Amino acid sequence: MLEFKDATIKVGGRVLVEHFSLIARDGQLTCVTGPEGSGKTTLLRTLMGFLPVNEGFVSVDGELLTIYSAHAFRKMMAYLPQQMQLLAHQLREPEPLEPEAEEYAVWNGVLPSVIKESRPGPLNAEEIMMLAEKTLSEAKDKPIVIADEPTALLSPELTMRMIQLLRQQAEMGKTVLVASRKPQMIDYADQVVKIETR
Amino acid sequence: MDTRLILHTFLALLLLLIPAGALYLLERKKLPRFCFVVVRMMIQLLVLCLLVWALVKVDSAWLSMLWLVAMAIGGSWLVQKHCELKGRAVMPAVAISLFVGVFLVGMWLLGVVLPVSAFGAHWFVPVMALLMGHSVSMLIRGLSAYLSALQEDREQYEFLRGNGLSHLKALQPFMRRALLAVIQPTISNLSVLALTSMPLLLVGMLLGGLTPINAFVLMLFMVSGCVSASVLVLGLTILLVDKLGHQSSPQ
Repeated sequence: MLEFKDATIKVGGRVLVEHFSLIARDGQLTCVTGPEGSGKTTLLRTLMGFLPVNEGFVSVDGELLTIYSAHAFRKMMAYLPQQMQLLAHQLREPEPLEPEAEEYAVWNGVLPSVIKESRPGPLNAEEIMMLAEKTLSEAKDKPIVIADEPTALLSPELTMRMIQLLRQQAEMGKTVLVASRKPQMIDYADQVVKIETR
Repeated sequence: MDTRLILHTFLALLLLLIPAGALYLLERKKLPRFCFVVVRMMIQLLVLCLLVWALVKVDSAWLSMLWLVAMAIGGSWLVQKHCELKGRAVMPAVAISLFVGVFLVGMWLLGVVLPVSAFGAHWFVPVMALLMGHSVSMLIRGLSAYLSALQEDREQYEFLRGNGLSHLKALQPFMRRALLAVIQPTISNLSVLALTSMPLLLVGMLLGGLTPINAFVLMLFMVSGCVSASVLVLGLTILLVDKLGHQSSPQ
């Protein structure tokens, strides 16, 4: 079970989430929704321990989440971030080309120039789905699933597949916490919590 | 320097009349630049040789170590400059890694492989200079690959951390990319058959009076040392940059 109790989260003096409370139970799919910029991603990042809670608290199975305990809690979590399309290196490990032979220090004293690595293109919808399935299948023993806008870049068919995947996780008894604005995702959630804009 | 040596130097420099003449005929505006770099090269070489001469003459272990420290600091400045890391505090980490990595591999070569008087300036200075030069070259590639990968693929780091990996485990894909940036050029360079153009180091050893077999063996020792030192220095640099809390390193 995950709990936010009266949590206020500030970054650089700016309040991103104010007095937010939520309980996400085991075996349920909980969806946090709200307009863009309302702090959905901030909440999930706080839960991962990437951002601190300024007021109130966050707990996992009754244990307080702090900067020191965050890593232990992350070991219990499977995480699907918002920018899944940028994780091309998770599916395709970069293999730099063997460069042309050149003179180097054994031969003379010329210093090489920096090699600019070519960046892979973003993942397409199918690949995003594939990475999500891979991540969750590797996290069978983890009791918590966190997903940030998991259907944002998916086609309607793949959106349904993603929802089914997350529902399956909940049916396995896991706590599934999703941030999403997609009506389909909201419809299939057991509990919906709306964040109002400040 | 006796009169004969000056005369021979002058005779050698006469050879430069061929490229200078060609430039004079075909690309005259490049001629002043050509003359300038030749003179600068001569002065640099002379100063370097006088420095090495002094180190060999004094032959003090402490002075040789001091020289290695100076080389490590100079090398770290070059790495910072070539990696375009303006205002970033990686210099101490790079300098310490260069010193430790080069010193350890150098001592192995001098004290165990060769083995010779390890701190004798006659051996210490050229072996350490070679290892330092190669390590600096490769570190420019490796460190820039590591830091730019971390900056560009921060999402990957967070994804791995978010899925329960420790900080060091989450850095492994970035370390792999840095290692490949060092190893790939090394593989390319080692795979070239030097049949028509000999490596300068080999030429130097042959001119210095070594037999071809001895030159081959020494070359092999030095290449092995260079490759090992570059990987060791890269590993140490990454760990130290991370420990010293460089701004590109996520925590």
